[in-house]
Amino acid sequence: MQGSTRRMGVMTDVHRRFLQLLMTHGVLEEWDVKRLQKHCYKVHDRNATVEKLEDFINNINSVLESLYIEIKKGVTEDDGRPIYALVNLATTSISKMASDFAENELDLFRKALELIIDSDTGFASSTNILNLVDQLKGKKMRKKEAEHVLQKFVQNKWLIEKEGEFTLHGRAILEMEQYIRETYPDAVKVCNICHSLLIQGQSCDTCGIRMHLPCVAKYFQSNSDPHCPHCNDYWPHEIPEVFDPEKEREAGISKSSKKSSRSRQH
Amino acid sequence: MLQKPKSRGRAGSQPEREQDGGRGGGGAEEAPSTSRGAAGAGWQGSRRAEASPKAGPRSQKQLELKVAELVQFLLIKDQKKIPIKRADILKHVVGDYKDIFPDLLKLAAQRLEYVFGYRLGGLEPKSNTYILINTLEPVEEDAEVRGDQGTPTTGLLMIVLGLIFMKGNSIKETEVWDFLRRLGVHPTKKHLIFGDPKKLITEDFVRQRYLEYRRIPHTDPVDYEFQWGPRTNLETSKMKVLKFVAKVHNQDPKDWPAQYCEALAEEEARARPQTGGPAPSS
Repeated sequence: MQGSTRRMGVMTDVHRRFLQLLMTHGVLEEWDVKRLQKHCYKVHDRNATVEKLEDFINNINSVLESLYIEIKKGVTEDDGRPIYALVNLATTSISKMASDFAENELDLFRKALELIIDSDTGFASSTNILNLVDQLKGKKMRKKEAEHVLQKFVQNKWLIEKEGEFTLHGRAILEMEQYIRETYPDAVKVCNICHSLLIQGQSCDTCGIRMHLPCVAKYFQSNSDPHCPHCNDYWPHEIPEVFDPEKEREAGISKSSKKSSRSRQH
Repeated sequence: MLQKPKSRGRAGSQPEREQDGGRGGGGAEEAPSTSRGAAGAGWQGSRRAEASPKAGPRSQKQLELKVAELVQFLLIKDQKKIPIKRADILKHVVGDYKDIFPDLLKLAAQRLEYVFGYRLGGLEPKSNTYILINTLEPVEEDAEVRGDQGTPTTGLLMIVLGLIFMKGNSIKETEVWDFLRRLGVHPTKKHLIFGDPKKLITEDFVRQRYLEYRRIPHTDPVDYEFQWGPRTNLETSKMKVLKFVAKVHNQDPKDWPAQYCEALAEEEARARPQTGGPAPSS
């Protein structure tokens, strides 16, 4: 951590209510975060101008620094939506999950996590995960029960399921990136553009570098002849569109609908 | 879980915890200019850390980290609405830092209040259990932006709290169900919203300390009585509950003069500084 030259911000009830309500969500999309911010202003400081979200959050984070937590911003790996979560900076274990799940459930998550990280696509099949049920620590778990637990992970936004396969939810990546990079240093993949942890993405067939889908979208935006930034070979994959919150609201697309099913890009 | 420090078994003599739960902690005046400043002030005053041979010198950062763990522990535990036992805090978080536990707790309480707006309150005078009390008033529109159910400010609990208060602060379980049945809430039937109302009222709310549930001796068939639990007394007030009841009936709280007087008296008692001594007659 840098030296505390940054002046620590001041908390008001606007910020406190914001934090309290933010904590009721495991992870929140940017649009909802803005809505939440406006609500808090409305309750406590009706006439004030709503501060720009980035500054608002930076202010709160400067106060949270001494508590080793922060409101972290990330981007969903599949369609580039900005998301926010309150994450723990100090401990390197799966701490937030630990209070909601039993020992064997946590171990199931760990097993799924390992399969996901080792996979080439960033997805682990339900079958492969369930086959590891016998190796779990703690109370014995049957496959049927494990299926149930996997669904709990999906409901709590730790995993995403697509066509019987599981990958990490943006929330898990935000919370656990540090832990994952420290625990699986050899197996982790990293995006060539943003250098953050990469679970799902596209990869160059020639040199093997990987990029997040939203990073690909931004990097190759309005480029009709995309080439690998590393080896300059032709980039063979479909270039996704850059996420545009305005466009989405106009089209009235519900937040839960996704465009295409996961395209198998590796 | 948070890094588990080696727990040293049962805590020995428990030093007095500086409890400032009574006074409304002014967040502003406790605001540290820098977190290190606050931590520093605390440690300089603490003789215990130096006196204890086991403790050894602890870096500023270690202490800060300890307070951070404690804050997180309290937040997570309180989310489940189960009162936090001092013993659990000592075992799971404080560990080796037992000797400076009161200072740690005080600092954690300050941060909780300043940063999150939660006041750390002792549930009952000697029980060594704590809850977090929200210093911010819940607002109806909160429900639209939260990710969970929130504290049951309206709904079944409030109805039961209302029943208890209007009946003179104690009510028999049979009477509770007589009333609730009229609203379509039955002890034996699954409810669309409340799920298992019997479990909710006689177990969950009791465990969360919103209600007290005691068997009435010498009753046949066995009957129980409900009273307000310690958490209710901390989180809400007779006046708030009376206002809720009044709203439900579309009337004014003053339409129940006895309860209104009682609620007023409680407000006045709370407003008075905690100096002890007899209350002046209103």
